[in-house]
Amino acid sequence: MSEILKVQDLSVELQQKHILSDVNFSLYSGEILGLVGPSGCGKTTLLNAIAGFVDFTKGQVIIDGVTISSSHSVPAEKRNVGVIFQDYALFPHLTVKKNIAFGISKLAKQKQQQRIDELLTLLKLTEQEQQYPHQLSGGQQQRVAIARALAVRPSILLLDEPFSNIDTRLRNSLMIELRALLKSLNISAIFVTHNKDEVFSFADKIALIHQGNIIQYGTPRAVFDQPKSWHVADFLQIGSWLPITRNGDKISTALGEITTIENTNINEQQQVILVKPQYLTLSSAAPNCVVKHVSFTEQGYHYTLSSINQDDDLSFDELSFYSDTLLTIEQKISVILEPHEYQLFLKPCHQ
Amino acid sequence: MISRVKYPVWSATSWLIALALMTPIAVMFFSGIAANSDTFLHLWRTVLPDYVLNTVLLAVYVVVLVILFGVPSAALISLTNLKTRGVLRWLLLLPLAMPAYVIAYLYTDLFDYAGPIQRYLRALFSWQSPADYWFFDLRTLTGAAVMIALVLFPYVYMLTRTAFEYQDQQLVKAARSLGLSSRQCFFKVTLPLARPAIAISASFVLMETLADFATVQYFAVNTLTTAIYDTWLEYGELSTANALASILMVMVLLTVAAEYRARAHQRHQSKNKQTSKVRISLTTRQHIIGGIYCWFLVIAGFLLPFILLVDMAVQYFEQTSLAGLWHAGLNSLEVSIYVATVATLIAVLLGLYRRLSGVKNCAIPLQISGFGYAVPGTVLAMAMLATFGPLDHWLNDVAKWLEVPMPGLLLSGSLFAIIFALVTRFAAIANGTIASGLTKIPKSLDQAPASLGVSKWQSILTVHLPLLKSSIMVAWLLVFVEAMKELPAVLVLRPFNFDTLSTQVYQMISDERLEQGAIGALFIVLFGLLPIIVLNKKE
Ligand SMILES: Nc1ncnc2c1ncn2[C@@H]1O[C@H](COP(=O)(O)OP(=O)(O)O)[C@@H](O)[C@H]1O
Ligand SMILES: [Mg+2]
Repeated sequence: MSEILKVQDLSVELQQKHILSDVNFSLYSGEILGLVGPSGCGKTTLLNAIAGFVDFTKGQVIIDGVTISSSHSVPAEKRNVGVIFQDYALFPHLTVKKNIAFGISKLAKQKQQQRIDELLTLLKLTEQEQQYPHQLSGGQQQRVAIARALAVRPSILLLDEPFSNIDTRLRNSLMIELRALLKSLNISAIFVTHNKDEVFSFADKIALIHQGNIIQYGTPRAVFDQPKSWHVADFLQIGSWLPITRNGDKISTALGEITTIENTNINEQQQVILVKPQYLTLSSAAPNCVVKHVSFTEQGYHYTLSSINQDDDLSFDELSFYSDTLLTIEQKISVILEPHEYQLFLKPCHQ
Repeated sequence: MISRVKYPVWSATSWLIALALMTPIAVMFFSGIAANSDTFLHLWRTVLPDYVLNTVLLAVYVVVLVILFGVPSAALISLTNLKTRGVLRWLLLLPLAMPAYVIAYLYTDLFDYAGPIQRYLRALFSWQSPADYWFFDLRTLTGAAVMIALVLFPYVYMLTRTAFEYQDQQLVKAARSLGLSSRQCFFKVTLPLARPAIAISASFVLMETLADFATVQYFAVNTLTTAIYDTWLEYGELSTANALASILMVMVLLTVAAEYRARAHQRHQSKNKQTSKVRISLTTRQHIIGGIYCWFLVIAGFLLPFILLVDMAVQYFEQTSLAGLWHAGLNSLEVSIYVATVATLIAVLLGLYRRLSGVKNCAIPLQISGFGYAVPGTVLAMAMLATFGPLDHWLNDVAKWLEVPMPGLLLSGSLFAIIFALVTRFAAIANGTIASGLTKIPKSLDQAPASLGVSKWQSILTVHLPLLKSSIMVAWLLVFVEAMKELPAVLVLRPFNFDTLSTQVYQMISDERLEQGAIGALFIVLFGLLPIIVLNKKE
């Protein structure tokens, strides 16, 4: 696989504010990268920097072999980067057909027509050819936006929250369809979302952004199994947090003592372990938790538990736990943590 | 972000245009305040206190009156179940089409000693002479204020009505749920929330009042505008006229500052017109009083003068010089087409510059160019003379030196000065219309063409201009009509023997023979109706 995009030490400042600092990552041909992170972390800015809508102060971006840096900028229209905008940005005064033809007006008429027909068929828009954007449904509008971007044969496609305007009920099937389409055309794409479910089902690679930095990059599986920091695990809601204390070799939690974990240097910050729900089981021992909230999900009952003892260093109050057994609110229960390879994190102070 | 010089030609053009538009005003203002202190002292000892007092009094009276006319009518139309509110809604806008000096003339004709009302009363009560009875005299400062207020109150009505209609209904519902009656609600919630809108429209009226020339001139009320006009055209004292214009400018600047403050307070408006609204039910008595009030405003501000004008036009048709009318009409058309076209082009250029250039401070040219709307026509005229007069002299000197024919008053004595002045005055109207058209284009449409490999210039041609088409047409029309109606600047700047419809009508009015210019006046009114129709359609 060849590298289609390489971002090196990219920094962006807007109105004297650091928005992105030293971002590094690569995208391989045909790969879909999901950028995730909380609102305002700089995802759109990163796409804008790649597409050429904001200038960067430092670093470089190499698109399909062409190097762009702050001293050697290439205007947006010369970068050959396709963009699917959050609101699709369809031209309201043009028909579907003319929207798709917008970027290829320099091609010969016959060639244009051929490409438009291909895309109309591919994206199931043949019926809508002569309609205007406002006459289309949200899903159809999205497909027009995709057809329009693909018409110019971009080297990469950038999609900014492509599913945020789609009904939640339709979202999943649209995601599957779009992914299949991108894969069948072998298109390299970066897509942005602040929804962790979307990124896990859509992306080949994940980049998690926090305060203008990529804090983890990898396959969804790798990120899920080995989150690198508290922020990653917390944002992706990989599990819940259980505080620990150490006394020599002895490590205690509110759910009992656990076997040794690798001894990271002792720090003033509070240490917590990541607990994935599959490692928790109900037992008949003396109660150690209280049920605080119950919700019903397709995986059975989802309980939020807090420790019975609320005023020591080991107390917790938002432990996620799934079970088929019906429990009631304020019921005191016993939960055991099954031994496994524990993952230790430092909890940020101000959280 | 590293700031680089992007689009140097576009930037330079935008800044140059904006600065060029403001230069004459600055030149006039500085040469005005730099006038030798003797001029000021002399003015101050003689007429200035009177002029300033009259100007201020007129402004205060007009503002009080437009609020009295505009706010209750807006409340009645938008908040109550007043009968006929459907037609009144737009009828109340029509007075805007009437020039104040025209209704001043018509009402003077109607109410003066020789007019039909007093004749009828004399016949009825067998009075012989003016000593036998008292009758109000319209030709006073108060009379002028009433005339001006009758045609300007629709600004207050329009903005206040919009404020009422777009108010967040949740706030009213909250107040009702907290136990306020609908009446208390109006005074404690609805009206206070509309206060910024009232203030903005009142300051707008204030600017128009400060700019009024013809009404006060006709009523022989001495204000700063009439003083500027007289000192320049009667006595030819340019520096005194400049000094007076600078004083008027200071008053205008104060008004602009007030408006600016009012705008800063304008919030609480929701984006959408609130339809599911419970209207206040009026009692029969309130219905009658409210109905009479609104209909009085419509009749006094538009219907009656309009009928009088039509009647005059028909009766004196024989005596009207159609050739003169035709000539003046063509001149008006020529001036207005130039002004509208130039102002719209500038608005599109500066609007797109601000929107698309991505250059630092790209909004400033647009802001600078919009300032002229506050400057009275007489002041603008003085500004043109103060700037282009010396320039013409210099050109003539150069011509003499080069031994080529001298161009004469190439700039200050030609259509150039008129068009320059009117573009300065009405640029803001075009700017505002284009700007509001631009805000309706989503930001992503600016970037989409580039992502498809299309250059910025190409995208302006294929995306922005087509989407702005209707805004461009509306902007052109609004400026066209305003240019058609504008009087004082044209009056001062017009070349010898050059008449437009408005100067011709004004001339007839000062000669007390509007009868012969009634058709011209009707044209002005009918043109004035166009923007009202457009505004009404836009809703
Ligand atoms: N034009 C701008 N000028 C200044 N700050 C901006 C601008 N655009 C975005 N920002 C700031 O940059 C940060 C990142 O914004 P953005 O990239 O839109 O975040 P995201 O898409 O991840 O929600 C935010 O704090 C935002 O306020
Ligand atoms: Mg975003």
